[in-house]
Amino acid sequence: MQTILDVQSLKKYYGKEPNQTKALDGVSFQVIQGEFLGIMGASGSGKTTLLNCLASIIRPTAGSIYLKDKELGRLKESELAHYRGNEIGYLFQNFELIDNLTAKENILLPLSLHKVSERESAERLKLLSNYLDITDVLDKFPSQMSGGQRQRVAAARALILDPHIVFADEPTGALDSKNARILMERLAGMNAVEKTTILMVTHNSYAASFCNRILFIQDGKLFHELRRDHPRETQEDFYQRILRVMSMFAGGEPNVF
Amino acid sequence: MFSKLIARNSRRNRKDSILYFSSMVISIIAFYIILSLSNQNVMLFLKKMESDAVDRLMTLIPVFYVLSLFILFFLVYFAGSIQIERRKHEFGVYLTLGMKRSRLFFMLLLEDLRNNIIALGIALPVAVLLSELISLVTSKIVGLGIIGHQFSLSLPAVVFTVVGFLLVKLPAFVFFSIKVTRKEIGELLSYPPSGIKKQLPNIIYFFSMILGALMLAKAYQLGISGRAWFDRKIMGLTVSLGGLGTILLFYGLRMVIGFFAGTGRRNRKKLHNFNFRQVQEMVIHRSTTVAICSLLIFASLCLFGAGIAISMDATDNIHILDYTFSNKDSYENLDTEQVQEFLEENGMAPLFSNVLGIRVGHPKELHSLSLDNLVEQIERAPLNDARNTLLHNLKNRDDCYLISLSGYNELRQAADLEPFVLEDQEAALYMNRDFLIDEALLNSIIATRPAIRQSGETLTLTGQIESLPIVTDRSITLTFALIVTDTRFESYTGGNYTNYVSAVLDPDFVQEKGLMQAIMETNNALDKMPLAYESYLQSMGRKLFYVVAASYLTIYLALIFLVVANTTIAVLFLMGQRKTHRRYQILVHLGATCETLCESARKQINWYFGLPIAVALINSIFGVLFLFPALLPAASLRTNVGRRVFIAGIVILVLTLIEYIYMSLVKRSSDTFLRTLMIPQRVD
Ligand SMILES: Nc1ncnc2c1ncn2[C@@H]1O[C@H](COP(=O)(O)OP(=O)(O)OP(=O)(O)O)[C@@H](O)[C@H]1O
Ligand SMILES: [Mg+2]
Repeated sequence: MQTILDVQSLKKYYGKEPNQTKALDGVSFQVIQGEFLGIMGASGSGKTTLLNCLASIIRPTAGSIYLKDKELGRLKESELAHYRGNEIGYLFQNFELIDNLTAKENILLPLSLHKVSERESAERLKLLSNYLDITDVLDKFPSQMSGGQRQRVAAARALILDPHIVFADEPTGALDSKNARILMERLAGMNAVEKTTILMVTHNSYAASFCNRILFIQDGKLFHELRRDHPRETQEDFYQRILRVMSMFAGGEPNVF
Repeated sequence: MFSKLIARNSRRNRKDSILYFSSMVISIIAFYIILSLSNQNVMLFLKKMESDAVDRLMTLIPVFYVLSLFILFFLVYFAGSIQIERRKHEFGVYLTLGMKRSRLFFMLLLEDLRNNIIALGIALPVAVLLSELISLVTSKIVGLGIIGHQFSLSLPAVVFTVVGFLLVKLPAFVFFSIKVTRKEIGELLSYPPSGIKKQLPNIIYFFSMILGALMLAKAYQLGISGRAWFDRKIMGLTVSLGGLGTILLFYGLRMVIGFFAGTGRRNRKKLHNFNFRQVQEMVIHRSTTVAICSLLIFASLCLFGAGIAISMDATDNIHILDYTFSNKDSYENLDTEQVQEFLEENGMAPLFSNVLGIRVGHPKELHSLSLDNLVEQIERAPLNDARNTLLHNLKNRDDCYLISLSGYNELRQAADLEPFVLEDQEAALYMNRDFLIDEALLNSIIATRPAIRQSGETLTLTGQIESLPIVTDRSITLTFALIVTDTRFESYTGGNYTNYVSAVLDPDFVQEKGLMQAIMETNNALDKMPLAYESYLQSMGRKLFYVVAASYLTIYLALIFLVVANTTIAVLFLMGQRKTHRRYQILVHLGATCETLCESARKQINWYFGLPIAVALINSIFGVLFLFPALLPAASLRTNVGRRVFIAGIVILVLTLIEYIYMSLVKRSSDTFLRTLMIPQRVD
């Protein structure tokens, strides 16, 4: 199996010495092709910081990130922009659609940024909008859509250029449970059928139960890992296991297994 | 602590809206310059000669002053409301932290006062210098020596400038502050949702555009027909059709832009679709404001054109003779030689390069002229306004003045023209330029050598229409005269004529002193002699006054309009950009580089400015056609296409320059803002 993402002792410190925040304090892990990886942790544990480093929105203090053998730290600004636009997709908690563009225009925005002809992606647009069930809203503006539709449009935008990996920061955070389930089912489906690699940060144990593997993070350090024993373990059982680890969290007792 | 907060805030306000601040500075300058008009060298000079007219102009100044107050109030109100809107959130935080509303209000007031004082501190010295500069330049241009120039600071002008500025600024400000400080905290803290307003069906926008275009077309038609100048109702109709048409046009424009956004090779150009949506949003949210800006630019273009045309009208005046003499205490004719000797005796001959006499008289019998042949030919010419007027003027004419050929030829010589050769039975037509409507038509008819009858004899018209001024005094003008040979002149007038003795100043003397100064010195010398005179200065002074006053005021208004319109657009864009900064951040996330963002914003800026300017330009093509005939009674300008093109060229040049400055300022400001967005920040 091919490794898509390789993170080595990543560190991100905010502020100067006396009151320094170690948001990430030596995180190392790998993501392989076609994996659906979840990252869980309490609020302030450094999840968003991690994703932002991976998406090259912020520069890490130390450590290295390799995406398909390319080290992010060595890329120039224009190469980073290309990386953000073409090689990764990003899904936000609050959708981040541009509110004066229609759904279709939002989805096609990455093409317009990277001068990809629309015809090339017409096929993919059709496929994605069918699969994510947003064909009806393509000509609507974000304000005319439901939250679930907005997030699925955002998902289509993240997937339109067929990135190597999709980063999702609490994509279900702003959705009700029904819409959260629909979104997770579609993402898991994309992962299963299209072999899309997904790295998702979440608070929600139910959302996490769709993943193949889950990393737990606390105070900027990885401290536990869960792997779903596919296909033997049902999603339900995996969910129960996640809940158990989560309750350990509260008790502050790592490594129960 | 409190004063520190005020200082910091007001510094930041100035920085945040450098454009708004510089507009304040410009309005202060504008106030001072209009108020110090009476201190200008040219005006001081004219006051000596044309004191009545100058006084009448000075009574007009307050009107312009109040008018400027109103226009600038619009600017302050608009820019201020957006500025306050932008800081709403900050005020909400102050209130949440327990600041009293009265204290917040007080804080805003002090902040604003501080900024006002700084604006005055910068603008007043600049205004004084600028008005001195204008004074020097205009006096140089009109040939008034600048040796006697004295630095003049007009204290009343300063006082009224400050008063006017505060009069505009403070009420608007108090109004906003009260509005803001009355609001609920929650209202202040919440960000208003940006985004697409509710849209009506496209057909409505389509109709609004068509209706707007139709109204504009009707306004153009009414305007060009020229009827509006005679009928106040039609004038009102033209203006309201034009204004309303423009507003409707902009209201409907969203459809066209939406169409651009949605179609075309949208991914050939980076962010094509996004850019158009941004522009569309402006047209949707602020169509009326943009339309008004466009109208202001239009008005400004017309005024500029008019101002320049008027100022060029002065130089248009053919100037050959500097003095015309007459007897001080009798109506008897002067003899040319007599005057020449007289000047020599008094040592003034070197001042003049030429002394000449032109004989002008009436035929001794009344109603002795017949133009039938000429009139017939005019009747045959194609129907148009010029032909009709000409016909009307000449049809029933049975009388004319006569000019002797020898005198007129001396005049031609003084004007560096070839002398005119007339056979005994020939005559040339003389008409004053101001009454000459279609010179080309008349010349083409004269080329066929039509016959006319004078005192029972047939004369053939020949040559071209002549119209050199025969005396310096512009109040003596000959509408219609015949130039005939000296023998015919003698026989027709029966020796009863006036001899106008005129003189031309020595060109070297004029070169050295400047025309104004030269004439003034000669006047002083002539005053001591028993010779009455009329100098070119009197006629020129009248003209000059009209020109200086009219061009000064029109160009002044034009600049104010332009500044207000541009600042409004600039503020509209920059504030909109700040409000929607999230969109740019999303683009960064999707892989936009800083250059891409800046490029995109620059394109939007081009559209923001380009749309209203384009509409204003189209409007002004018709507007200028409408204005010129009314403003420029001189027929020469109406027919002189080259000069019109020249004026239009200057206007376009000025507009381009000003727009370029504004657009680069806004672009630079936008780039700076976008660069701050690139600095990594929290996304959630
Ligand atoms: N720009 C910043 N400057 C200073 N400290 C920061 C910055 N961004 C994050 N931090 C700190 O780093 C730590 C990790 O923050 P991060 O946003 O990654 O947490 P998170 O796991 O995403 O939390 P949540 O689940 O609430 O979103 C926090 O203590 C936060 O206060
Ligand atoms: Mg987070």
